[in-house]
Order: sequence, then C-alpha cells, then structure tokens
Amino acid sequence: MLSIKKENLRINPVLLKELKVKMRSWKAAILIGVYNLVLTLLTIFITKISMDEHTMIVDTSVILGIYTFMSVMQFGMITLISPALTAGAIAGEREKQTLDILLSTTMKHRSIIVGKLLASLSHIILLVVSSLPTFSIIFLYGAIGVKELLQMFLFYIVTALTFGSIGIFFSTFFKKSTAANVLSYAVIVFLFIGTILISIFYIYLVIMPKTNYNYNGTFFLFYLNPGIALASLLSSQFSEGLGRIFPGLFISGKQSGVQLWHINMIVNLLISYILIFLSARKLKPAKKK
Amino acid sequence: MLRIENLYKNYGKFRAVNNLNLQVPDGEIFGFVGPNGAGKTTTMKIICGLLAATSGRVFIDDINIIDRPKALKSKIGYMPDFFGVYDDLKVTEYLEFYASIYNINGKNRKKVCNDLLELVDLTDKKDFYVDSLSRGMKQRLCLARSLVHNPDYLVLDEPASGMDPRARVEMKEILRTLRDMGKTIIISSHILSELSEMCTSIVIIEKGQAVMSGTVEDIVKKVYHSRTIRVKVLDKIEETMRLLQEYPDVISVDNKGSSIVEASFKGDDVFLSQLLVRLIQNNIPVVSFNQAEGNLEDIFMKVTATLEEK
Repeated sequence: MLSIKKENLRINPVLLKELKVKMRSWKAAILIGVYNLVLTLLTIFITKISMDEHTMIVDTSVILGIYTFMSVMQFGMITLISPALTAGAIAGEREKQTLDILLSTTMKHRSIIVGKLLASLSHIILLVVSSLPTFSIIFLYGAIGVKELLQMFLFYIVTALTFGSIGIFFSTFFKKSTAANVLSYAVIVFLFIGTILISIFYIYLVIMPKTNYNYNGTFFLFYLNPGIALASLLSSQFSEGLGRIFPGLFISGKQSGVQLWHINMIVNLLISYILIFLSARKLKPAKKK
Repeated sequence: MLRIENLYKNYGKFRAVNNLNLQVPDGEIFGFVGPNGAGKTTTMKIICGLLAATSGRVFIDDINIIDRPKALKSKIGYMPDFFGVYDDLKVTEYLEFYASIYNINGKNRKKVCNDLLELVDLTDKKDFYVDSLSRGMKQRLCLARSLVHNPDYLVLDEPASGMDPRARVEMKEILRTLRDMGKTIIISSHILSELSEMCTSIVIIEKGQAVMSGTVEDIVKKVYHSRTIRVKVLDKIEETMRLLQEYPDVISVDNKGSSIVEASFKGDDVFLSQLLVRLIQNNIPVVSFNQAEGNLEDIFMKVTATLEEK
C-alpha cells in the first residue's frame, strides 16, 4: 500500500510566506512588466528590421533568427536575475536576524533551503510563463512548434534552478548577501567564460600533443557551460548542427541521440542537488558524533 | 526537567562554556545571571539546538538534544536576545507563518493565533504590519511566536532588553501568567532586580561556569555568612540599638544616621520576625524594617568580585 504522509503533501511554509510577501508587493508587478516590455520591444524591433520592406514577408531563416534572439535574450535575463533572487535568501535572513528563530523551529533545514529556492524559482517561472505571449509571435510564422518551446522552457527552468542553487549555496556560507551575490556571479561568469578558457588551454597544451593533434571528443568542461548548452539546444531544434567549433567541442544538429544540452541539464540537476544538500548541511548546527 | 551535563563549547581557542552542569526542574522560572560574554547566550543556543556543543550533553525530559532534535524543538520556544521580524507581514500572518511550520492548520491555527495575541495584548494590532509596531510590541509578538506550538519550555534571552518601564512590567506579568500555565521558563536578563522578583531559581554564570545555583534565598545564605537588616525609626535610636544588641545571634549593630540602624545577625525569618515584635513591644516607632542586602545585584557583584580576586 502506498502511504503518503499528510505532512509531505502540505505546501512548504517558507515558500508560501515568500510567495505571499513577494507577490503582493509592487516590485513583483514592476519586475514582470519591465521584463516583458524589454523582451517585447526587442522582438518587435528585430522583426521590423528583418521584414521585407515591400512584401512585408518575414523569411523562415529570419524567424529562426528572431527565435534565437528571443531565446538568448530570455536566457540572458534569467542568468542575470536568478542569482540575485537567491543570493540574499539565507544571508538576508541572517542580516534581518530571523534565521535563528527559523532554525529553532521544527522545520527541516533542507525544507528552509528548498522553500527559499522554490520561491525564487517560482518568480522566474512566472517571468518565463508571462513571456509566452511574446514568444507566441513565432507560432504565427511556423518553423518553431510547441515541442521546441517546451524544450526551451524546460532548459530555462533547469538553468534557473542551478543558478539559484549557486546563489543559495553562497548565501548559506556567507554572512553578508553582498559577498554571496558577488561570488554567485563570479561562478556564473566562470561557467560561461572560464570553462571555455580552461578547456582551450588544456586541450591545446595537454590533450592535443598527447593525441597527436587529433582529438575528436567533447571536453568535459564544455558540458558545464550554459551558453554552449543553449547553442546545442538551438542547434538541435532547427539546424543540421554547428559541427566541430574547435577541438574538444562538437555541437550536433537535429539528429536523435544524447546531445550536449541533455548532458548539461543532467549535470545541472546534479550540481543543484549537491549545492542544496551542502547548504542544508551548513545550516545544521548540532552534529552527531 | 532540563539537565545539562559537563557542557563545553569552544570557539577556536576561546572557551565560552566550561564544564557547565545544571538542572532546571519543571515549572520553574530559572534565571541565567552573568556578565556579558559569560556564556549565557551560548548555553541557551545549545539548549535550543542552534549551536553544537564541543562536548557534554543536554537532556530535556531525558531526551538528549543531539539524538532527537526535532522532538526537542517541539518542546522548546526560543526568543533570542537580538531578533528581527518579517516586516512585510501582518501581525496575524507572522504568527500564522510559524504556526504552519508546526503544522497547526485551519481553524485551530486562527484560534491559537488569536489566543496568543490576546495573551500578549496585541489583539487590536492583528491587522497591522509588523513593521509598524513599537519595539516593545515586537518583543511581545516574538514571545507570542515562541508560544505558537505550546511548548513546555521557554528559553528567553534578554526578553525585556530595550523596553521602556511600562513594557517591562507588562512582560513580567505575561511571564508570570506563563509560569501559572505550567511552563518552565529559562530566562536571562542583565536587569538583575527583575530576575530576582520573577525567578524561582537562578544560576550565576561566569566565564562559562556555573558559579552558584539555587533559589535566591539559598544563594544569599551561601554568599553571606550573616544577614543584615535595616531598621528605620522615628526616634529612640539608642534604645533600638540596645535592644538589638541584647540578642546573642546579633553579631553587630551600626548606627547609619539619625534614624537608621543596621544589624548583622545569624538566623532565619522566624528570628527576624521575633526581632520586629520585640521592637514594637518596646514601643520603638519603627518606620521600616527590611533586609539590607541580599538582592541579586549585591550577590552578583560579591560573587564575581571574589572570582576576579582569584
């Protein structure tokens, strides 16, 4: 018999409180408004300049270009917003002197971390979902279907979860939210740029001489790179693949099979789990001997 | 019963709690007395499971806090010395949030919150934002919050700090009500007169060690080998001194001005009452008759001064 504890079904109290507080403030409405306004204006601008002046027809390749542009824009915004929403989560509780009270309750430390993370994530999901009408412009022209859009949104959510977990992790380990913010962004910059630089140096200086300058694999650090994962996703959705960008990085196209962005999502989920685990552990004061 | 056994807590090389042993029987208001940095807050945090002890054990109703932290936390309500409140929540929402953590839901949650607001006299503020409350009100709200799960034990770290005199009196009244409800209250305060009025027992902590513990009366006996009474009379001061000196248990009698006499003696309250009766029977116009020393501040100063000398 499957028995589910009633306690497990209830909504995380921290999540509920955060949502209540965040959603009733003007900040939430302004954030959603500004986010969609920027996205819409940029989309209109790109569509306008891509349109044939005489026939008013938009070419399929241009539509895919617009879709790519919107996806990258949205991804960029998620990258910027996610750590900011979570880096202050625990450090902020500490600064407001509310953390000790929360920890003195029966709430599990993991639930506190997850509640905070989900509250921030729900904010991002709301942003992503609210941008659906803007994204739907693509449907007018075909070329991109619901499946592609769902893939993209799933990728966004997993990435936001990872960036959010990075923010929460530093928020738990540092007393000041400023330090947590700075380090979160530093790690994200490393994921975008650092992984590429290290990979290139390592491939050219270590791997290539060993393999007699004939290295065909994908270097593991590229799986961590969110930008490359997005490129892989976009490439798998409508192109024949970008091929070998440089030694150690191969981006495949529409063909079936496990793609770079699939692995990136799995790695991201794993990283998130580890970071949440470590954050909860850090909060735990009384350790068994 | 709360029991602390051989408790140690080190912060690097600094030892904040040094072999602390304590027992707090049920239904007591137990005061932690000690200077800043004595280890009071650290001990309280360990009791509440917020800090890990370096070594030693803390039992609540014979449950070791390390073994079953969740069971323990449901028995304890904690109010820290410095705390924040979620300013963007309303008073009721604030309490309801904590009630939901303890899985108190539905109508019961509303009732619990309303009862607690009534207890701390904040019913008329229930729809106000926490941000708009005065400091004293926030302290009372935090106390209500610590009671939301009806704990058997309350650990209150400087609950009246920063309050004005009226708010202090109100807080004292609330704590007395809670004691009458059968709660065991562990409280620290730097206002020792308040503690001596409220506490059934105290422990004096200095440099992480329990220097002395017991009822205030017991500690007075331990600290002072004799007791001193202060008698204020309208006149007949010479006769008053003579009458007091006639008792063999009276060690010394001093004239402290035109109308005040201080007498040191060895004896209990029965002896004290006999002294007063004798003075009255001899038509001494007694204005006041009270114990001169033995308040918590005196005791604390005497005990800590002895330690400094060592």
